[in-house]
Amino acid sequence: MASPLEQFVHSVRTLSSQGNFRDLCELLCKSTDILIKNGQHLDAVLECLQQHSLGMLSVLIIKLSLPPPSPASNTNQTQPADYQEIRFTQVQEFISSCVAEQIRYAPDVFAELCHMVTQQLVEAKSPMRGIELISIAIKKLQTSDSHLTLVHADLCQLCLLAKCFKPALKFLDIDITSISIQEGVQFDAKYFLLYYYYGGMIYAAVKNYERALYMFEVVISTPAMAVSHIMLEAYKKYILISLILHGKVLPIPKYVSQVVGRFIKPLSQAYHELANVYATNSTEELRQIVTKYAETFTRDDNMGLTKQVVASLYKKNIQRLTKTFLTLSLSDVASRVQLNGPAEAEKYVLHMIEDGEIFAAINQKDGMVIFHDDPEKYNSPAMLCRLEDEMTLCTELDRRIQKMEEEILVNPQYVKKSCGATEEDITSGQATKISYLM
Amino acid sequence: MANNQVSPMILVSNAVEPMQVDAPPEDNDNTEEDPYLVENPTLDLEVYANSYTGLARLNRLTYIADHCPTLRIEALKMAISYVMNTYNVNLYQQLHKKLQQAVGNVSVPDVAGSCPQDIPVFDPLWVENKSKKAALKLEKLDSDLKNYKSNSIKESIRRGNDDLGDHHLDCGDLSNALRCYSRARDYCTSGKHVVNMCLNVIKVSVYIQNWSHVLSFVNKAESTPDFSDSQGKESSQLILGKLKCAAGLAELATKKYKQAAKQFLQANIDHCDFPDLLSPNNIAVYGGLCALATFDRADLQKHVIFSSSFKLFLELEPQLRDIIFKFYESKYATCLKLLDDIKDNLYLDMYIAPHVNTLYTQIRNRALIQYFSPYQSADMGKMALALNTSVSALEDELMQLILDGQIQARIDSHNKILYAKDMDQRSSTFEKALNMGKDYQRRTRMLILRAALLKAHISVKSPQRDVGQGAGEMSVAPASSRP
Repeated sequence: MASPLEQFVHSVRTLSSQGNFRDLCELLCKSTDILIKNGQHLDAVLECLQQHSLGMLSVLIIKLSLPPPSPASNTNQTQPADYQEIRFTQVQEFISSCVAEQIRYAPDVFAELCHMVTQQLVEAKSPMRGIELISIAIKKLQTSDSHLTLVHADLCQLCLLAKCFKPALKFLDIDITSISIQEGVQFDAKYFLLYYYYGGMIYAAVKNYERALYMFEVVISTPAMAVSHIMLEAYKKYILISLILHGKVLPIPKYVSQVVGRFIKPLSQAYHELANVYATNSTEELRQIVTKYAETFTRDDNMGLTKQVVASLYKKNIQRLTKTFLTLSLSDVASRVQLNGPAEAEKYVLHMIEDGEIFAAINQKDGMVIFHDDPEKYNSPAMLCRLEDEMTLCTELDRRIQKMEEEILVNPQYVKKSCGATEEDITSGQATKISYLM
Repeated sequence: MANNQVSPMILVSNAVEPMQVDAPPEDNDNTEEDPYLVENPTLDLEVYANSYTGLARLNRLTYIADHCPTLRIEALKMAISYVMNTYNVNLYQQLHKKLQQAVGNVSVPDVAGSCPQDIPVFDPLWVENKSKKAALKLEKLDSDLKNYKSNSIKESIRRGNDDLGDHHLDCGDLSNALRCYSRARDYCTSGKHVVNMCLNVIKVSVYIQNWSHVLSFVNKAESTPDFSDSQGKESSQLILGKLKCAAGLAELATKKYKQAAKQFLQANIDHCDFPDLLSPNNIAVYGGLCALATFDRADLQKHVIFSSSFKLFLELEPQLRDIIFKFYESKYATCLKLLDDIKDNLYLDMYIAPHVNTLYTQIRNRALIQYFSPYQSADMGKMALALNTSVSALEDELMQLILDGQIQARIDSHNKILYAKDMDQRSSTFEKALNMGKDYQRRTRMLILRAALLKAHISVKSPQRDVGQGAGEMSVAPASSRP
């Protein structure tokens, strides 16, 4: 073994066992060159560094970034595929056995490792294998359940590609309240946007449109000085989901940065037209628009959502009928909703009754549909329970907001600023508070 | 020299049909409106024309000529003979052009009878004379004004400006007239003068259909401090009426029908002699229709039917009076039929024509709502009969009204019965509360996340970092994101 490498191993072991992780991080940053030079000995180094997770982490990073050794120079591995496999096992072992307290000193490096693994799995078309691993990785990095890490986006990507959403939903269902920050390390906006973008797609895939819309709204309302393609795509999906869920495009929040209005809106012309036609309630015209822009929608991979938008208009029109009619013949339903005939109308109405979207009964003898009112009378114990649950949620959120405000109120920076402004008036004090928030 | 200066301006401002000149952007409906033709008006053109003077008469006659083939020639003839009294050379030429076209169109099918022989011929000499005279007068007024200005006698300058404005108006040069009238503003010394200036500006603004201008000057005139006592009682009443009517017209043109109705209802028949703006008949029709379309039953009774002043207006238009009374008596079929009868004549009125359809729909909807209001359930067959329509058409209309929330009812299409819907306040309150709670949760979550986001200083910054980062499926168009 070359002497600088030996020295490296020695110092890592000492620092690590002393618990002096801050210095260790610095050392590791400096010693990448040594490691790269000694690429072929890294396996041996890894063996020596068991229990010293930070050391292992940086060694693994180097190892993954090196190209696979050419067959001539190595003796143990003959197949590149095997080599990949061994590397993957190493990483897997590391991630599952590493010490969480240590790696939290270098979350960006750890995230980098995860990104690399994810990338390789995506390229190898076996995203399924990484899901469990990355989930563990997130757990290791997190200090609490509602803590967002750079690795979250990787998990969502893997789940999307594997079409296996449950593991990601476990994380997505918990609302993020804090974001990992470390001195000197900027949380890359890319991974924030990607997490919410993928999250929106996952929710859309499991038809939880409300959450999907929320996710996309987060993406488009992220502060931005420049146009991000993630935001652009999210905006397009935001329009579609909004149409499916509410039948109209919800106004985007006021605090959305200007780039959205200035650059992103003009870039999603087809979607705006779709929304405009949707507002006329004419399924015929909507179909025409979809055909007209089929290429755009297919290119954006939004064709599936677009088809759901079309279907939702039929449903919306039927729902409108329930508001105005007590009884209506199936053929009238078909003609008013522009369906192909009583049979299709019956199919739609039946499905909607089954899904609880309308309350009605079909009388097949006369071919009539009898629309009922919402049978919910809001007097059952279950409803009371639901009400209480909702109220608890609201008060909890309210408490959290108050806590956040208190935190700001005792923040020395804020106190200093607001005291300076007391001579002017109360409103300016409020303004400072807001600007601090911003 | 003065001639050279003026005539191009006239040409520019009168290049289009006068009523469309300078149509302000807020008032698009006139230009967007499909050209329509009215076949069977029951209008006495002579009487109609005589109730107006000046440009109001010319504009109205031209409007009729444009929209009614049967009255076209007669209207044009009247307009031409009237325009001969003014300096409006440009309009004279235009009218002749139109007349020639009209005569050409008509005389081919029926040469024998109806086409009268006394078609006025185009008189180039008259044109030349008038242009010359106009130029001379303009020059004189101009030099007068300069004189006054050099002597800086405020009152004379004001008058000079007014005279110049009058002359421009006479020539049909509206924008210059407006400019002169507005210039007089700086030289007003008393409330009377201010009001006078306002009236002038309003008059011209109505001609060029700049409605926001009209409204602002009406306000200005009404808020002039010594407005009421500076004038004789009689004339101040007259001015007040005129202001109300101008405001009503402007509200009507900007589709604020309720406001328009309120303004018109304040007019007084004894003091409503302003033929350069509106005739009393107009006030009756505009006010009556707008009130019918927007007032509820109680208001209609109180402010229209029992209004002693407006009653007199309605006497001028017996048909409309019948309509309003039938509506109030809930005889909707007769009412709607009578409304249809006067539709053609309304189409020939340049100010209300663009709004006829909207007003009629509103009146119809109001009738439907009123018809149903006392019932728990109503037979749609009888309802259709009472409203002069078919059951299926009625069903569509009702559906629209229900969706708009104007009628709380549901249709039993099987038995063709309309049932009033009893709203369960309790359920809807629960529903609302739940939705509100959900909304609150969503917004609060977003707020907390955003606070975290800002704390972490996350923001999309340079385009270099974002372009082409598309992890897998982000293969969108190239970096066209920046313009």
